Amino acid sequence: MSHPSALRIFLKTIVARSYPRFVAANRNRTWLITETLLPLIGTIAMIYVYRALHAPSRYLGFVVLGGVLLAFWQNVIWAMATQFFWDRSGGNLELFVMSPTSLSAILLGMALGGAYVSLTRSVAVLLIASILFGVSYSVAGLLPAIGIFVLTISALYCLGMLLASLFLFYQREVWHLADAMQEPIYFLSGFYFPVRTLGAFVGGIGSLVPLTLGLDAIRQLVLPGTPAFISLGWEVLAIVVQVAVYAFLSQVSLRFLERRARQDARLILRST
Amino acid sequence: MTEAIAQWRGFKAATWLGWEIASNWTRPLMFVIYSVLRPISGAFILVVMYRVISGSAPGTSAYLAFLVSGVAFWSFVTYGFAGLSNGIFEDRGEYRMLKYVYVSPAHFYVYLLGRGLAQLASAVASAAIVLVVATIALSLPIDPLRVNYPLLLASSALALVAVIGMAMAYGLLLLQARDTHGYGELGASVLYVVSGAIFPISVLPGILATIASLSPLVYWMELIRRSLLGSHAIRMFPALSDADVLLRLLVTTAATLILARLVFGWADRTARRKGLIDMESNW
Repeated sequence: MSHPSALRIFLKTIVARSYPRFVAANRNRTWLITETLLPLIGTIAMIYVYRALHAPSRYLGFVVLGGVLLAFWQNVIWAMATQFFWDRSGGNLELFVMSPTSLSAILLGMALGGAYVSLTRSVAVLLIASILFGVSYSVAGLLPAIGIFVLTISALYCLGMLLASLFLFYQREVWHLADAMQEPIYFLSGFYFPVRTLGAFVGGIGSLVPLTLGLDAIRQLVLPGTPAFISLGWEVLAIVVQVAVYAFLSQVSLRFLERRARQDARLILRST
Repeated sequence: MTEAIAQWRGFKAATWLGWEIASNWTRPLMFVIYSVLRPISGAFILVVMYRVISGSAPGTSAYLAFLVSGVAFWSFVTYGFAGLSNGIFEDRGEYRMLKYVYVSPAHFYVYLLGRGLAQLASAVASAAIVLVVATIALSLPIDPLRVNYPLLLASSALALVAVIGMAMAYGLLLLQARDTHGYGELGASVLYVVSGAIFPISVLPGILATIASLSPLVYWMELIRRSLLGSHAIRMFPALSDADVLLRLLVTTAATLILARLVFGWADRTARRKGLIDMESNW
C-alpha cells in the first residue's frame, strides 16, 4: 500500500481545514449578519463623528477603508489567534496533533478560509458605506492598492498564525486578551485617522501590526492628499519583510509551543 | 419572610455568578486591566480624530470632554446591555443552566437583575479610570468638587434601569434563534449610534434623529455632561433646562420599561411554548 507524499498531505490538510470556512461563510445567517453589521455600524458611527466635526470628505474614505480592514483584524483575532484555544476546549486540538499532518497546514487552511470569509464581509462594508455616504476613490490607484491589500492580508494572517500558537499558553483570560486586542489596535493602527498623527514612536509600534502600514499605503493610493506615515515604497518593503518574518516566527513558535504544551499537558486542558 | 430570603439568596448568587462569568474566573486585577484598555483606547481614537480635524487650538477641550464623557459612561451600556443579553443565551447554550434558573425558587427577574448588577462593578471601574486618565492627560474641564453628583447619580440610576430592562427583553428575544453569538454587541452598537455618546444626534438623518430622541440614553448622556462639566458642557438640547431633560429621561425610561415588559412577556411565553429554554444550540 502506497502512502501519500508529505506534500500531498500538507496541501490536502490546507484544503480540508479551509473547506468548512468556505462552506460556512454563508451558511450560518446569524453569523453573516453580525460579521457584516458589527464593522459596518462601527464604521458608520465614526463617519458621523467626522461629519459632526465638518471634516473634509476624504476623511470619510479614511474611516470606510479602516472599517474594511477591521473585518480582517476581527477575523484574525477571533478565528485565528483564539482558534486553537477553542479547538482545545472542543477536544479537536488533540485530534489535530495526533493526525498525520502538521499544525502549520491546519493554520494555513484556517487562514485561507478566514481570509475568504472576511473578504465577503469587508466588500459588503466597503460597498454599503461608500454608497450611503457618497465616498469616492481614485481609480488610478486601485490596481496597486489591491496588490498591497493582498500583501497586507498575507502578512496579517502570518501574524495570526503566530498569535494562534502564543494564545495556547493562555487559559481563562484568553477571552479578555482577545477583547483587549481590539480598540487598542484600532488606535495604534490608525483605523480611523492618519497614523502619521500618532508620531514616529507610537506609529512605529503600531506598524508591528501589518494593517498599519498596509492601510496607510492603500489610503495614499486611493485617497489622494492623505498625509503619509512613510513613503509608499518603504511601506511595501516593510510589509514584504513582515510576511517573511511572521511566517518564520509562527513556525518556530508553533514547534516550540507544541513541545511545551505536550510537556505541560496543555493540549488537553479545558479552560473555557 | 421565607420567600424574601429565597429571593435575596437568589439575587446574591446571581450577582456572584454574573461577576465570575463576566471575568471568566480570571484574577480581578487582570480582568480590570483588560476591561479598561478598550474604553481608554476608544476615547483616545476619538481624541486623535478630533485633533486631526481641529488641531489643538484653545477652546477645544469642551468638545473633547463631550467625547470622553460619552465614551466613559458608555461602558455601562456595553456591560449592562451586551453583557446581560449575551448572558441569557450563554446560560442556555454554553452553560446549559437556563432551565435550572427557571425552575429555581428565585424569580427569573431577580436572577437577571443580579446578573445585570454584576456588570456594574466593571462598568464603574472602567468609567472612573477613563475619566481620570483623560481629564489629567487632556486637561478637561472636569472638577470633582463641582460635579453635580445628585443629578449624575439620579440620571445614571434611571438609565441603568432602562438598560437592564432593554437587555432583559433583548436577551429573551435572542433565545428565539439557535445561535446569536455577537448579537449583544450588535445591539449595543446600534444604541451607540443613536445615543449621542460620541456625536450630537442632530448629525443623524431625520428618521434616525427622531428615533434617537425617543431613547432614554440620549437624555442620560446630556445629563452626564451637564453634571460633570456644568457650563462647559456642549449641549444637545440647549433649549431644555436640567429639570426638563430629567423629566424626559424619566418619561422615556418608563416607556422603555413598559415596552421591554411587553417584549419580555411575549418572548418568554414563546420560548416556553416552543421549548426554547433548554434547546440544544450546539455551542
